Amino acid sequence: MSARLTRHALSRAWRVARACVRASLLATTGLALLAGAIPAGATSARSVHTTGSQALSTSAPSSTPAPTPAPAPTPTPAPAPEPQGPATIAASFQPDKLGATGTLTVTIDLTGDTPGVPPPLRSSILRLPAELGIEIPHLQSCEPERLRLLGPHGCPAQSRLGVGRALVRAPLGSQPLGESVSLWVFLGPLHDLQPTFEILAQGYTPFDERVVVSGTVLPDNPPYGEDLVLPVPAIPTLPLEPAAAIASMSLTIGSRRRSAHESNTAVEPSRCPPGGFPFAAELTYADGSMQDASATTPCPR
Amino acid sequence: MARRSRAVRMARQARSLSLILVILLLLTCACATLTGNAGIARAGEEALIVKETFTPDRLGAAANLSITASFASSADVPPSPIERLTLYGPVGLGIRSRGAETCTEAALERQGPAGCPADSRVGFGGGVAVLALPSQIVREPFTLDFFFASPARGRLRLLAYASGVSPVGASLVVVAKEIPAPRPYGLGFSVQVPPVLTIPGAEYASVESAFATIGASDVAYFKTVEGRRRLVHVKGLTVPRACPLGGFPTRATVEFADGAIFTVDPAIPCPRD
Repeated sequence: MSARLTRHALSRAWRVARACVRASLLATTGLALLAGAIPAGATSARSVHTTGSQALSTSAPSSTPAPTPAPAPTPTPAPAPEPQGPATIAASFQPDKLGATGTLTVTIDLTGDTPGVPPPLRSSILRLPAELGIEIPHLQSCEPERLRLLGPHGCPAQSRLGVGRALVRAPLGSQPLGESVSLWVFLGPLHDLQPTFEILAQGYTPFDERVVVSGTVLPDNPPYGEDLVLPVPAIPTLPLEPAAAIASMSLTIGSRRRSAHESNTAVEPSRCPPGGFPFAAELTYADGSMQDASATTPCPR
Repeated sequence: MARRSRAVRMARQARSLSLILVILLLLTCACATLTGNAGIARAGEEALIVKETFTPDRLGAAANLSITASFASSADVPPSPIERLTLYGPVGLGIRSRGAETCTEAALERQGPAGCPADSRVGFGGGVAVLALPSQIVREPFTLDFFFASPARGRLRLLAYASGVSPVGASLVVVAKEIPAPRPYGLGFSVQVPPVLTIPGAEYASVESAFATIGASDVAYFKTVEGRRRLVHVKGLTVPRACPLGGFPTRATVEFADGAIFTVDPAIPCPRD
């Protein structure tokens, strides 16, 4: 039963894994941000290329000659998003050995070390290198409804593909409020014969909120193998206040230890292209702006 | 014959009258729909409009109370600065601070919201202030942060931190003190607002519009209880368990520095389920 998947199955599984990573992008939840959720040391991208930019503007208080007619009942003065730096992506294998089974960790930072709150993310596409795979000894899927109702223990451990963390921020009051969010990635049911993945995002404090996001896996062109496509729902905060935004997220697919509960592993491609393994993310924000981030993970020595 | 034609005329008049009444009724309903649950107080060319909503809108539930208020004037002058604000909520409206900590005025004045424990936070808000400079009127957005303070003489106290950044950086801490509430209200708060100086030569700042969003249904904090770290939920603000006919009564009275007093009585509609 614990036979290795065929290349085709592997590729499909990989797609799922990628989707999971994207899903982690989406992993949106309640609000609040939190500090230091992302294990920065887990990644080892040698080069990170960022393109695109966001057209953001800070609102200057209006100066008018005199007050004019009666203002309407106050809607929330939604603060403009802070200008943000370029998004970055980094990925690493553990152990870093061609064809080895283990974990893949992908980290995406949407703020570029800029303080403040980025605009809310609406969708993400994570592009993964060709021949990346996931070994799933016991193929079981997880229904999103079970995750919503029961949390991470609502689905079989064998359907769990990975875990992660995200940092969500919202401009509430005088300071951005943050919440650290735990992520779980599960293999979802096939949808139109396409593999899917489910990302469960659970924030605890200051808001105890749970969100499940479903993503799909689509084929891509070389040097990429597959794309994880994840729509990101709005993250409502409080009435009259703006929605929260994902500031960063990190997702680890697979497990280094093999056990009944940790049986799924990432499989590093058996060949490394010149320059390293390519990873990329295409991010679309609620204000309509888009951002690309790409990186290559060096080939193992 | 003449009697019959008079009867027909009377019947027609009655029909016309009932038609007019129906139209008036429909217009009245339409107006009521347009204003929703907003409370409006008018005085001369000025008006104060207040609207309140519970989310989720469910009897007895931990919820968020959102309030918007705007001061409208057809004259080309900014509103007078606010001196005092008095708010009354309906009987049964609860504020349960169990599981939450408190903040102090001193900490808030010294360090801002960062000086308060995270689990002392009650809500947020903001608005638009008006600064009457010698040569022009400037509008400045400001934010509000609300915190639990330690009770005084058994009565609840809340702290509000108002902060504006540009074009004039200013912050202010005010205390909302629980006061006895006359029927049909069950909870009252009074806030004394000191004059806010902006720049030399300018008049005191005034407020054109403001909003507040207090409480939430899913607030939780990690606490160490009997040596173990546990997630403790703060119930916060709770919707009354019964809703009177006409909705939950509330009242807001705003006293301005020029002596004007506006009182509005917006009712929060009863939950539909």
